[in-house]
Amino acid sequence: MAAAPSTYAGAADVVAVLVLLTEFAMLRAPLLRSQVRLYAFQSLVVTALAVDIAVVRHVGDLYALAIVSFVLKVVLVPGLVLRLLGDADTDLAGSSVLGVASMILIALAVSAFGFFAVGSLQVHSAALPTTALAIAAAVILVAFVLIILRADVVSQAIGFFSLENGVSVASLVVAAGLPLVVEVAFLFDLLVAVVVFGVIMRVHHDRAKTLSTKKLDRLKG
Amino acid sequence: MAALSTVAPQIVQAMQVATIVLGAPLVSGVISHVEARLQGRRGPRILQPYYDLAKLFRKETVVSEDSSWVFLVAPIIAFVCYLVVPLLIPVLTTYGLPLGYMGDILGGGFILALAGFSVALAGTESGAPYAQLGGSRAMTFGALVEPTILFVVFAVALITGTDLPYALAATVRSSTSEMVRPAHVLAALAFFLVVLVDTGRIPVETHTGTLEFGMIDEARTLEHSGAPLALLKWGAAMKQLILYTILINVFVAPWGLAGTGKLSSVMLAIPSLLGKAIVLGCVFAVIDNLFSKLRLFKITEFIASAFLLAVLAVLVYYAGGG
Repeated sequence: MAAAPSTYAGAADVVAVLVLLTEFAMLRAPLLRSQVRLYAFQSLVVTALAVDIAVVRHVGDLYALAIVSFVLKVVLVPGLVLRLLGDADTDLAGSSVLGVASMILIALAVSAFGFFAVGSLQVHSAALPTTALAIAAAVILVAFVLIILRADVVSQAIGFFSLENGVSVASLVVAAGLPLVVEVAFLFDLLVAVVVFGVIMRVHHDRAKTLSTKKLDRLKG
Repeated sequence: MAALSTVAPQIVQAMQVATIVLGAPLVSGVISHVEARLQGRRGPRILQPYYDLAKLFRKETVVSEDSSWVFLVAPIIAFVCYLVVPLLIPVLTTYGLPLGYMGDILGGGFILALAGFSVALAGTESGAPYAQLGGSRAMTFGALVEPTILFVVFAVALITGTDLPYALAATVRSSTSEMVRPAHVLAALAFFLVVLVDTGRIPVETHTGTLEFGMIDEARTLEHSGAPLALLKWGAAMKQLILYTILINVFVAPWGLAGTGKLSSVMLAIPSLLGKAIVLGCVFAVIDNLFSKLRLFKITEFIASAFLLAVLAVLVYYAGGG
């Protein structure tokens, strides 16, 4: 029976849990559009978490980071992906290898592994409670599950982007005062990934007339 | 005078049961009234469930020749079960009353399950296809919800060190940090979804429709008539209020309960519980209007998300005592 964390820590944990729950929601979202919107929402929550730490811990750099990540991850990236989706005329992913319930159970088992793995690390943090670090690990692992279990380009791109959200939460926990340059470099990494995935989506859709990656396993010259 | 204004705990316990028994049709009536208003209908009177029950008790009972005594005994067993559960949960008081500690949350869950089982058995016993379908579906989905309930109980047990409903209510009341800790929030959310499933509300079941193919709980009672049907309907309303009471007085808002056996504070706790239950009922009515019913085979997905929340509650607790 552990004592409850302080009200602030508890609330911050709940926000971090929200990031994890949106990750699970992406896993089950049948529409590609709703997946992109969920990603935008998740990024918004991560941004809110950054602003929260900036206010409470007086880390000025985080304000700048929050603004950049808001513009990039909430507005720009989802907007770009939605525009790319608008060109392709597929709405439903329909690409799940497994049923929704079994996907959720697998992701649950994987995130349990993440929770216990981080729990055994005994990391202590001043900025955010350690629970948030475990949640971040779970977010990253569930993003991997999303990439593995859903065979369409959009889910895989969104899975990769949301993986970056998990990393953001983790870096907020471990090193809230990370130099701004490093954080912004992460974000620009993301931008490169968006360009790459955008090109893949385009090319793949043009060639295969579908967003599903199931046809990619044929070795043709 | 002081002795006069304090009520014996046994009487308070009896009042807890009476509140559930007599208040349940009122809560149902208000919910269906609000629901009708939201849909632009005038809706039934708030007291309509009482009139319905009175009418059904006066009607004759028709029993199929193919059914046995189980068909008639089951509604009584279910009703008695719903009379027992209010003894175990904090309906009016913050402290345990006589017999209040004879069962924990799991004990209450078992008694509710026994009630559900006997109603499903009666439906199967009737020999009518739709009642049998309802019975078997209710058992199937009941079994799927069970793990979620267990994990909610685990989360509660981890947070409080015991699984008595009174203890969790006291813990939640003790500070805001207990209210916002993620383990508690997730467990409460999971229990909310469980209540949604167990009271047969919209994402799972339309409780106002007459289409038998979509029915789960409703279909079980199709063959009953007269007084047994009245008992079943009354029991369903009581089950709803019991689940609301657990959600409100244990998880979400355990305030407004009587801290002592004073007559005034116990009397005040009754309208406060009914008021909170009606507010919660309005939330359910709004959900009813916002969402459509899930296809039968999609219900497992809904239950899976409730299970997800409950398991995350336990996991978050282990990772840093959230």
